[in-house]
Amino acid sequence: MVNKKAQMKIQQMAFMLIAVTLFFVLVGLFFLRISFSELRTSAELIEEKNALLLVSKLANSPEFSCENAFGGIKINCIDSDKIMALKNNINKYSGFWGVSGIEIRKIYPSGNLVECSSSNYPNCNYLKILPVPSDSGVGVSNFVALCRIEEINNSVQDRCDLAKILVYYGGAE
Amino acid sequence: MKKIKNKLGQEEIVGFAVIIIIMAVIILFFLVFYLRGERESVESYEASSFIQAFLHYTTNCENYWEYLSIQKLIFECEKDFVCLDGRNSCEVLNSTLRGIVEESWKTGEDYPVKGYELNITTAQKELIYLKEGNIGANYHSARQDFVSGGIKAEIVFKAYI
Repeated sequence: MVNKKAQMKIQQMAFMLIAVTLFFVLVGLFFLRISFSELRTSAELIEEKNALLLVSKLANSPEFSCENAFGGIKINCIDSDKIMALKNNINKYSGFWGVSGIEIRKIYPSGNLVECSSSNYPNCNYLKILPVPSDSGVGVSNFVALCRIEEINNSVQDRCDLAKILVYYGGAE
Repeated sequence: MKKIKNKLGQEEIVGFAVIIIIMAVIILFFLVFYLRGERESVESYEASSFIQAFLHYTTNCENYWEYLSIQKLIFECEKDFVCLDGRNSCEVLNSTLRGIVEESWKTGEDYPVKGYELNITTAQKELIYLKEGNIGANYHSARQDFVSGGIKAEIVFKAYI
């Protein structure tokens, strides 16, 4: 009888130890999952932020940005008239931005890709500012408003389309 | 004497069972937390830039002075404005935004973005709600608030990955 009771006590203790160990393992897993998920999220965020900041910095630089031309300061807004002027003088900006290629593609309204030149502007949707070399490395893009001044029905109006600026860096500059 | 011993044995078994039940409940609680797929939202700079850029887009809805940008059209839609060509401003806003989002965020199994939601609301009403593709657990989102003429509008865009 005494032996049986002792066995029962030992069993009870063994179950308790297993349960307590399982409990702490699960608690550990729970906290590890939370901390790793936060780490992964912040790493992704920093990576995305750095890439997009580079593009935004370029889009908001004086050579590209709308500044006050379209009624107040606009963020992520590119003046396409400025870009056409810049395109014609791009040799003066060789190595200025430290990137290997810059392009702007109109997204909306959409249409077949037509490269802009002085002869077809503004009836085009693709602005090649710095031609992208074949080994241009990584490309990063961001949304921008592509604005210009247009004459409609004898009145001068602002016209903004939605575009993406693509910046290539890391390759041959 | 025998009766007292039996009672003690019964109490021990009840105590043991209670401990086992408590431990099982605690383990189940953590298992549920561990296995549950929580919705994870990440503030996205790309989505934020998208909102800022499309707000400047010039629509084909005209008032007496100009063609209205999406930002202006949101407030005109709130006031049920009718464009000079007779179309309702909210219809123009809806169709323009649908076109913009469809061209900007391609969705599907072959694309990194599986679905999206765009919601534009003012204090009074929901102006726009666009939804496409699969709405999953993880998404990149951006929110923008702005005020004009005493009306506050809120734009929320979510891209599901």
